[in-house]
Amino acid sequence: MSRTITIEPVTRIEGHARITLQLGEDGRLEDARFHLTQFRGFEKFCEGRPYREMPALTARTCGICPVSHIIASNKACDHLLAVDIPPTGEKLRRIMNLAQIVQSHALSFFHLSSPDLLLGWDSDPATRNIFGVMRQNPELARDGIRLRQIGQTIIETLGGKKIHPTWVVPGGVSEPLSAEKRASMLKLLPEGLEIAKRTYAFYKTLAPKFKDEAAHFGTQPTLFLSLVTPQGNLEHYDGVLRVKDAQGRILEDQVPPEEYGHLIGEAVEDFSYMKFPYYKPQGYPQGIYRVGPLARLNNVQACGTPYADVALAEFHMLQDSGPIVSSFHYHYARLVEIIYGLEMIERLLKDPAILDTRVRARARSNRYEGIGVSEAPRGTLMHHYRIDDDGLITWLNLVIATGHNNLAMNQSIREVAEAYVDGNAIEEGMLNRVEAVIRCYDPCLSCASHAFGQMPLAIELRDAAGRVVDRLTR
Amino acid sequence: MDKTLIIGYGSPIRGDDAIGPLAVERLVERGLPAGVEAIARHVLTAELVTELAGRERAIFLDAAAGGEPGTVQVHRLEPDVAAHSTMAHFLDPSELLAWCRQLYGQAPEAYLITATGACFDYAHCQLSPVAEAALERLLEQVARLWGY
Repeated sequence: MSRTITIEPVTRIEGHARITLQLGEDGRLEDARFHLTQFRGFEKFCEGRPYREMPALTARTCGICPVSHIIASNKACDHLLAVDIPPTGEKLRRIMNLAQIVQSHALSFFHLSSPDLLLGWDSDPATRNIFGVMRQNPELARDGIRLRQIGQTIIETLGGKKIHPTWVVPGGVSEPLSAEKRASMLKLLPEGLEIAKRTYAFYKTLAPKFKDEAAHFGTQPTLFLSLVTPQGNLEHYDGVLRVKDAQGRILEDQVPPEEYGHLIGEAVEDFSYMKFPYYKPQGYPQGIYRVGPLARLNNVQACGTPYADVALAEFHMLQDSGPIVSSFHYHYARLVEIIYGLEMIERLLKDPAILDTRVRARARSNRYEGIGVSEAPRGTLMHHYRIDDDGLITWLNLVIATGHNNLAMNQSIREVAEAYVDGNAIEEGMLNRVEAVIRCYDPCLSCASHAFGQMPLAIELRDAAGRVVDRLTR
Repeated sequence: MDKTLIIGYGSPIRGDDAIGPLAVERLVERGLPAGVEAIARHVLTAELVTELAGRERAIFLDAAAGGEPGTVQVHRLEPDVAAHSTMAHFLDPSELLAWCRQLYGQAPEAYLITATGACFDYAHCQLSPVAEAALERLLEQVARLWGY
């Protein structure tokens, strides 16, 4: 009898989701799916609102990455205004975006994934959590908290509050930076960088233990999409779009973000509220691509800061040649980006022009359509608005970082389940690996699905007719 | 570092859920006694554990859902490792205390004061009349606890 295993909710991710594994008569995997089961509908209820409300409204998509939405949304509004924002305004926005990446990556690595990495996928689930990590390696746990605090403090210093700051506005930022605030942020950075380097060094000693997981956690040959600088280096705020394939060939380059629609199509499936973006030239569902730290590092030659460039070179050596294909190495890439983020924040803060008081361009809307693209912690984030003569939103589309990875996540689940799940003798450690491959992507499902509410983790086993024959919840 | 930390938390745009942050705002306006610090937060996040470390007493202020609207209750909190949440972006106060004890050796004596809300619809920092009345009673309980 064939069966379906359902994992619900998937734990230690942001938001709520379910995984189903369909097993055949012989207990072998036939299909695997990642479901977002709840709906929020920001694209619909924002219609009719003034475009200037969009940064505040869309930021409410998420309590984890509101800054990312604020940045992309304000960039879309800049486009509507048809203005170039003052250079210092842009630099200040960059600092906030990088601080968001630092704190978000810290949460992902230290709190969500470290229980698996430190305690093992097969360890007792009752203690395979942050408390288990605290017992085994309290310094690592304290470092994670401190690093997150540093990122959050920079956001709060700039924006006035940690969550949903309103300092970034269409045309720039609302207030220039004071010398006192600059000094207070600069004071935090040496400690942050020390923690980041220490953690990176520690992870390098740990990574060789995960050869088996690295060989099975999402090793599909996909494309990689990200922003890069015009020179092809790491970029999180602006730049141009690049698409690279698994062999390292650049398929698209120097694509203005406003032309994302030429690269990306969006499909829907009836089993999930998350959209299924795909690379248009290859069609659906063949056009699978990944975004986020792994894709960003695969797509660039250099980060542009000293220590991150050393780490990037080591990252590229994880494989003999070509882009790093295993999604397991998202963890590694996140640590490289934390280092980069802190180094770059320091560089931007030390720029004498950062105290310039001209930080905002003022204009009314001068276009009917605006597109803003930035790199969120989890990948490329796109806000696309259309407005009428009164500046009211008539249509909007949000292409969320986690959504880009949807096809890849589904494929990764299949790969891990094929490697580890024996339908004739299901063990918790097998299922935890299925969850863990999702954690590699650090999905933010509140953003991607616009999900609302709470679901527990469950794994369902279904027969060939789709009937639930067994269910494991926690 | 002040020996008592008050943390009022809740969403400012979900009606009576704003009672925690509004309570902090009211306390600061009226003046805090020496040795007491009060902060408002949307949710309880991991880095708050560093704020708790080294304090003698922590008082959490939150809205409650369910039960008789307007009810104010004081709960003694203990660190609880079993309270760990599956969500990534907010924590339970007992979980925070457990983090604090585990990582910094000790957790402050802690209390949770709740006021049961009547309405959690969208409203920016605007309480229902019953929650507004409960807010004053909640502040009285806070004053009783910080005056130890």
